[in-house]
Amino acid sequence: MITSEVILKSLSEVGSTVLLILAGTFVVEALLYLVLVKWLKYKYALPFMLLAPAAIGLIALVIYPLLWELRLSFTNMSLRAFKNPEFIGLKNYVRVFTEPVLKQKMFFPLLGQTVLWTVINIAFHVGGGLFLAMLLNRKMKFKGIYRTLLILPWAIPQVIAVLAWRGEFNFSYGYFNIILTKLGLAPVAWMTDPTANFIAMCLTNIWLGIPFMSVTLLGGLQSISTEYYEAAEMDGANGWQQFKNITWPLLQPVVTPAILLGTFWTFNNFNVPFFINQNELESSDIMVTGLFRAAFQYNRYGFSAAFAFVIFAMLLLFTIFYTRYTKTLKGTYES
Amino acid sequence: MSTSTLTSDKAIVVPTRHKRSFFKSGREDSPFKRIIIHIVLIMACIVSVFPVLRVLAVSLRPGDRLMSTDLAIIPPDATLESYRIILFDKPFLGWVWNSLAITIATALIGVILAATAAYAFSRWKFPGRSVGLVFLLATQMIPASMLMIPIYILAIKLGMVGTYRGLVIAYCVTSIPFSVWILKGYFDTIPADLEEAARIDGCSQLQAFWRVLLPLSTPALAITFLFNFMSAWNEYLLARVMLGSSESLMTWPLGLQRLQGQYATQWGQFSAGSILVMIPVVVLFLYSSKYLISGLTLGGVKG
Amino acid sequence: MTKKLFPLFSVLLIAAMALAACAQPAPTEAPVAPEAPVATEAPAVEAPVATEAPAVAEAVTINLWTKEGEADGGLQYVQALADAYTAAHPEVTFVVVNKEVETLREDFQTASLAGAAPELLWTVSDHLGPFTTADLIQPVDGLFDLTKFVGSATAAVQSPDGQTWGVPVSNGNHLMLIFNKSLMPVAPATTDELLTMGADFVAANPGKFALAFNETEAFWFVPWLGGFNGKVFDADGVTPTLNTPEMVATFEFLNQLKAANIMPAESNYDIMDAALKEGNAAMIINGDWSLGGYKEALGENLGVAPIPQVSATGTYPAPYTSGVFFMIPKELEGAKLAAVVDFVNFATSYDNQVDMVAKLTRLPALTEALSADVITGDPILSGSAAQMSYGTPMPTVVEMRCVWDAIKPELLPVYNGQTAAADAAANAQAAAETCISGLE
Repeated sequence: MITSEVILKSLSEVGSTVLLILAGTFVVEALLYLVLVKWLKYKYALPFMLLAPAAIGLIALVIYPLLWELRLSFTNMSLRAFKNPEFIGLKNYVRVFTEPVLKQKMFFPLLGQTVLWTVINIAFHVGGGLFLAMLLNRKMKFKGIYRTLLILPWAIPQVIAVLAWRGEFNFSYGYFNIILTKLGLAPVAWMTDPTANFIAMCLTNIWLGIPFMSVTLLGGLQSISTEYYEAAEMDGANGWQQFKNITWPLLQPVVTPAILLGTFWTFNNFNVPFFINQNELESSDIMVTGLFRAAFQYNRYGFSAAFAFVIFAMLLLFTIFYTRYTKTLKGTYES
Repeated sequence: MSTSTLTSDKAIVVPTRHKRSFFKSGREDSPFKRIIIHIVLIMACIVSVFPVLRVLAVSLRPGDRLMSTDLAIIPPDATLESYRIILFDKPFLGWVWNSLAITIATALIGVILAATAAYAFSRWKFPGRSVGLVFLLATQMIPASMLMIPIYILAIKLGMVGTYRGLVIAYCVTSIPFSVWILKGYFDTIPADLEEAARIDGCSQLQAFWRVLLPLSTPALAITFLFNFMSAWNEYLLARVMLGSSESLMTWPLGLQRLQGQYATQWGQFSAGSILVMIPVVVLFLYSSKYLISGLTLGGVKG
Repeated sequence: MTKKLFPLFSVLLIAAMALAACAQPAPTEAPVAPEAPVATEAPAVEAPVATEAPAVAEAVTINLWTKEGEADGGLQYVQALADAYTAAHPEVTFVVVNKEVETLREDFQTASLAGAAPELLWTVSDHLGPFTTADLIQPVDGLFDLTKFVGSATAAVQSPDGQTWGVPVSNGNHLMLIFNKSLMPVAPATTDELLTMGADFVAANPGKFALAFNETEAFWFVPWLGGFNGKVFDADGVTPTLNTPEMVATFEFLNQLKAANIMPAESNYDIMDAALKEGNAAMIINGDWSLGGYKEALGENLGVAPIPQVSATGTYPAPYTSGVFFMIPKELEGAKLAAVVDFVNFATSYDNQVDMVAKLTRLPALTEALSADVITGDPILSGSAAQMSYGTPMPTVVEMRCVWDAIKPELLPVYNGQTAAADAAANAQAAAETCISGLE
């Protein structure tokens, strides 16, 4: 049941927080106004004032924690050195590459596993998303209904979706094995066989990720003028040629950032590999689940901080190379 | 806030009519191809809906039987008992209410903060701009569990644990980078000439932003709100460490988690709760579906 | 310029108005006054031996983190206990917070790091290792009379130097054989009997299972290891011994058990649980925490017995026993410590222990309560106590975490015959060793 007490309490909590944020913003803006506008008469006073609230929040809740973790990554903090950790320089960073990150797996096999996971997922997300988007990018009946139903995996809370999927991979009661058995095939040990478990993880994540891609790509498809296709048809180009020469190149401005974001989200996806891997097979772990285990299950705080920065640095490197290669994001930074 | 749900029905029926008119009816499909397309789409819909139906099945089963040989979506001994318990015997509605209050507040504030920041990024070449944009992109690469401990410690030191203060602020802030990305991308597609015209008419820069740019950016604003709403609505880890101590402040992810004991879980109620908490998000998706496709211009997409 | 800023402020103002409306109805920071605890129905409010009760009635708030969830009524029990204490001592109020076992450990560590630990923990003995290693809790020897508790309970939370780190609330947390008398009137006494009776049962009841247990967790594996006279640690208590003949024999036995086709193909907690409740399994292996629920589901048909003796060795399987403990944070002192000590004495008093036995179907930690009618007269509890006598205290060292994680992935592949027993034992040992070396 819901009581008026709960209603009022949470309203007052939220309300007072909002007022706090407003008051804080007001003070910051007033200060900046005095300093930048009245005193310095700075050319970019307005953009800085617009940015200030967001910037202060990000400094407090992203940059400060990052610096805290950076400091931690140079210490030997663990359960045995919990209250008074010592500074040990780059030792943790060396360990990331030279010692097993989890139980037995070393860094590079784990990286390989994570890259494989990311590539498979992104390929299916883009492929499946594009396929559905192209099917939907036409005049047709029930289009609204299809779109609504197809978006559903995106709309439901991820953890609930993942737990539901995990149930489907159960050996005796899951849908997949029931269907396999009905087809006269041998049931698959989704939870214990390393390959099958990895496939189960991928299936779940592909299901989760396709709606985002298909919605994004549908937006991209709709922005391509039909005149291109009409001209191509007059030249006698077939469907595949049209796709290769018109659709795909013109989709690039949409595809590239979508792939980039999708890569970050998949690379760092925690819920799917963690919950589908119910038996904690080391073979199914990817880097972020390894990070979680190192930090929270084994309490290797210093080590896991260093590990986190290595993951972060790799994604950063990937982004630099990818954007250089495709040149699509240039506009974001430099225009 | 509440009016949005009232108008949603209309939005479902004619989701993108105005968009359709952009297209010529030139590319007609043969009837055979059309049938194939419908079949494929129906199959895709089944795949996408199926797991939800299975959760529904568990919620209708008596007792806490997650695993059953019974495959029917509506089990023969179906009962709404789990729904009754969770709605009337458990403080579930209170959890949902708390989540709603937090989520709506943070989504709104998050959009406001992001919109102003995105405007600055889109229209001025101030010093440090490209560093800022790269930083925003980089925040997306941080593994989420990495920041938990420092944020928790910071919240304890600022006395923000056990209240919504820390949580609301954290949700607002963490949603900013992605929102700025979407909004900046969208603002970039709107020619600055429009604001210039408004300024010639005597508007200030900010008035132009408020009166010209923002109304034109409704799709992107709606998408940003949707994203913020979803991430705050489903958030569990941060809420777990930040709230924890107060029964009356619990959000639904914390509440549902409580139905899971060390080994035993009240699966019936858990599933019933899961089905119920999907409703607000699905409603929001339906309402914003007309914006979803046009508004999701990821940064750097330049027309 | 001021004019330029007008729209910005108007945005903020609109937002402020929209939300300020929300902020108004709450008069002041209304502290949630929990409904006045009804002292009458609360467990035995007999004033406990208030030896060190705070002399001055200084108002204190005790944050009590408990691992007890709602599912089995545990949380409700803890809350009722706290309410009853507050009713008798109005100056002491409680904030009872339920945290899942692992969450409780993580959050307690982080909160301690930030200097904001709760005042009292109600948790499993496993946490002793991490908490003492990190120096987060205090020994309780000087604070309580520990002789009144069952020896095996306090032994579970003793460190090698003889210090005791927790006050037991309940004893047990151990696995046992739970069976449905309508399907299997008498439980098998040995594993040979288990196999023959199981085969007969399955032949007579096609589609049902003779036995099911949670095959995914190592907690369900260690009793069998004990039955083959194996241990996970060497005599020093920290060196893993997972690649031993005993370990291999245990793996091989469980593989044969699975091959006998008397169990579900792959079973986890939920499958086993549902199978017993739905009448699809004659016997399962589950812990004392589940007894309350099964009593409700099966009624008179519920039977409890020790896990069958291993015929090959003549030894009974030895489930891990641990129980539930109060732990007190390191820095706690003064009036808060006095209140906590008094509350713990209250919670472990004879009346409350007997009350807990009735409400949660768990064995009490207080020796005196063991002879209460509620236990001796209850076949289920005495069955649980019989199993308990074969139990072995669960190691509490931090290395145990690595042992759990090393065994877990090997279980199903061995049971299903995908991995040879010898390989699995070698894998587990190697995994445990690397993991332990990583603990620094």
